[in-house]
Amino acid sequence: MTDRSITVNGHPWQAQEGETILEVAARHGVEIPTLCHDPRLKPAGACRTCLVEIDGWRRLAPACATPVTEGMSIVTENERIDRHRKTLLALYMTDHPQSREESERGAPDQLFDMVARYQAPSDWGVLENKRQGRPDDRNPYIQFNPEACILCARCTRYCDEVESVSAITLAQRGSETTIATVDAESLLDTTCEMCGGCIDVCPTGAMAEKIPLVRGDKPERELEKVRTTCNYCGVGCQMDLNVDPDAREGQGKVVKVTSPPVGTTTNDGNLCVKGRFAYDFIDHPDRLTQPLVRGEDGELHPTTWDDALAKAATGLRGVTERHGPDALGFVSSSRCTMEENFLMQKLSRAVFHTNNVHQCAAT
Amino acid sequence: MTHPIRSSIPDELQKAGGKLEGVAREIAQRTGIPEAHIYGVGSFFHLLDRPHQKVRVCTGLSCRLAGADEVLKAASEAGLPVESCSCLAGCDVPPAVLRERRVLPAVQVEDVKRAGGDWQRLRSSSPLVAAPHRKDEHWSGSIGPENADPSQLVFDLRGKPNFTGEAYRKAAEMGPEAFFQQLEDSGLQGRGGAGFPAHIKWKGVFQQQETTRYVVLNADEGEPGTFKDREVMLRRPDLVLEGLAIAARMVGAKEVFLYLRGEFEVPWATMESALRRFVDAGTFGDIQFHFHAGHGAYICGEETALLEALEGKRGMPRLKPPFPVEVGLWGKPTLIHNVETIACIPPIVQRGGSWFRELGKTEPGTKLYCISGHVQRPGTYELPLGIDLDELVEAAGGYLGTLKAFSPGGASSGFLPASERNRPLSFQALGEVGSMLGSAGVVVLNETVDMKWAVMQQLEFFEAESCGQCAPCRIGTYYLRDSLDKHMASQPRTESLRHVADTAWQMNEGSICGLGQAAPLPLTTALRHFPEDFER
Repeated sequence: MTDRSITVNGHPWQAQEGETILEVAARHGVEIPTLCHDPRLKPAGACRTCLVEIDGWRRLAPACATPVTEGMSIVTENERIDRHRKTLLALYMTDHPQSREESERGAPDQLFDMVARYQAPSDWGVLENKRQGRPDDRNPYIQFNPEACILCARCTRYCDEVESVSAITLAQRGSETTIATVDAESLLDTTCEMCGGCIDVCPTGAMAEKIPLVRGDKPERELEKVRTTCNYCGVGCQMDLNVDPDAREGQGKVVKVTSPPVGTTTNDGNLCVKGRFAYDFIDHPDRLTQPLVRGEDGELHPTTWDDALAKAATGLRGVTERHGPDALGFVSSSRCTMEENFLMQKLSRAVFHTNNVHQCAAT
Repeated sequence: MTHPIRSSIPDELQKAGGKLEGVAREIAQRTGIPEAHIYGVGSFFHLLDRPHQKVRVCTGLSCRLAGADEVLKAASEAGLPVESCSCLAGCDVPPAVLRERRVLPAVQVEDVKRAGGDWQRLRSSSPLVAAPHRKDEHWSGSIGPENADPSQLVFDLRGKPNFTGEAYRKAAEMGPEAFFQQLEDSGLQGRGGAGFPAHIKWKGVFQQQETTRYVVLNADEGEPGTFKDREVMLRRPDLVLEGLAIAARMVGAKEVFLYLRGEFEVPWATMESALRRFVDAGTFGDIQFHFHAGHGAYICGEETALLEALEGKRGMPRLKPPFPVEVGLWGKPTLIHNVETIACIPPIVQRGGSWFRELGKTEPGTKLYCISGHVQRPGTYELPLGIDLDELVEAAGGYLGTLKAFSPGGASSGFLPASERNRPLSFQALGEVGSMLGSAGVVVLNETVDMKWAVMQQLEFFEAESCGQCAPCRIGTYYLRDSLDKHMASQPRTESLRHVADTAWQMNEGSICGLGQAAPLPLTTALRHFPEDFER
């Protein structure tokens, strides 16, 4: 890596070869607005909010996609850039729901934040939305609201570049451009793996999680985020449980799972279908919350751990005595940690003397 | 050489009859390209997206002046599978109509009636195609000026094609360095619209470290008012092909890609048979030529959108820099030129750079001016670069009616008032008044035309052809057309146009490519020069 001497708003700074203007600016706390940028994706330069002025360049340049070069002099705030941001955001607003109430479906709509931040006019009138959605898509998790879509293409690029799934695409063109699946199929009938990354990357909430919408949950900003480790497998993805503190008569309830910010956790904000959507077991009535033992009457009865473990041990030993050790087999869950899996095979081999041990993630 | 399979996607979609249900999935299973990508590509190109429409009537400015609306209405009433479409590069033979992928010149309401509701029987009764020897419907437009001295012409469109390969051999003997000097001496500027000095691009590609390089022909002519490339390919395919071969030889490319708009079925046939003559004679050694068809998207005339389309993707322009000279087709250095520019090359080789330079009036070379609208003889005229409108129209037989306004370089150049009739039609002189020579598609409007109406045609065009990638263009083209609609629908005139200046500024500053940057010009220039038309 070679150093590059550049100037940003008159400050002489050092930058690394290959760094973009946006990266250098972020490192120094200089704010440049973006809508289509995501550090996990190749820069698209499509939303145009991050345009800055470079000395000697006739045209404004996208900070997200422009690598710094030696001696480059960059301005991120001046009259031209201010007019650019205001008029661009004003245009965005003509093709967008006019209020947060109409637009937001859970996640905050960053376009409104930006309009407020840059004092952009939002009274240029309203255009009729021409983007097609898939209102009949029967998939259980992901809903696309074309009205709120700004075509930043973060969802399609995430689906391509991070997940390599390519279930969704930009389709049509001009003001009819939209986010589509092949032949407008339900996501269930495409290559979609329901990772929900499209929801996570969407800056306006056009891609939203269906269940909280159907349930009429509170918007995200009224929920409490609790960082935790996903326990569906041993990878250890970090995720944020979104808790409605008032639910269940003040006991609180997990109503959504969101990604931690990109670059802050080992999973880099990525989750899979289980981590993001399969949180309803937490409060499910069928969930086992205490040990149960079958009694003489053939029914399951609550008991203590000591009693339950003693009963299980007796039963397992009985099988060994009657039929030999290989009559037993041990299967552990991929939800267990590596340490727990290690103990399981110890139990199998050292205690019960059988090699019949398996873990569901091993195949 | 094999190319990435993705590049075949648009052609696969065409072979399958367009983006019909199930087609994308079937192609995905055969090629391994994600089905959503194939669907996205199919939906981008009009000819693939709506394959059931077999007849398309051009509703560009020149064609509407000549009765396109009546033809469209008649076709619709006759039950033909018809829709309107953007410019078909037939403004000199209006109204132009597309039957599948064949452009029919000067189609009349009677022609539509004669088809009897069967689109396959739709023919043009124009003398251009009606002659008995024209059963194949091959046609070409009118050219001029009359009695020009061939020694003062670069293209000499009336001349006989020359398949000897003399210029190629001469260039090969010269070698790149000497040739680049001739090219620089010639002062040749790109004829596709930007007017960029050609020699800089050639040297730029030649100097790249990467040794795999490509030459690409941009024959996606679609700027409303422009049809010169069609005429060059029809009449002098030899110049185009030899120019490409020289380009490949000089910049060190082994492969040449020709991207012709899908509606150029006839020029394609002409070019293919011309290529066969060269190839059969082994004139260009081992240089390979690949033809690629467009599928209905004006934006693919933008060089980086064209490269995306060649790679089999949606034709959305790339960010520049990097320029194709460095990062072009499949990331390799690429020399990409418009048909007219590349056709200048063999004559420059044969007769020298300074000969070419001196042919011009205010800037180097002759120029193929396309003229249409209210003139006696619309057509393609090879004249010294820098002649003015009056001189051009004189060559075209004179004005019809009294000149009111003209568009000097396609829809993207906006409108100029009659008072600019003596301004040189050149890159520099038109740039000085916030217009441009562009592709030199000159459209003349007389006193019968309401400028609001004329502007509306151009705004509808840009709205239909915006790729949708960036917000300034995607929303701006829609917003401007909608504002003018509202303005025209209200009496007395309201405030509908109050954000036009800011929107136009934003589109020019914020758009990724030239389409969005130029799209507001018809409206802003008309408001400046013809304010009274917007008050009526």
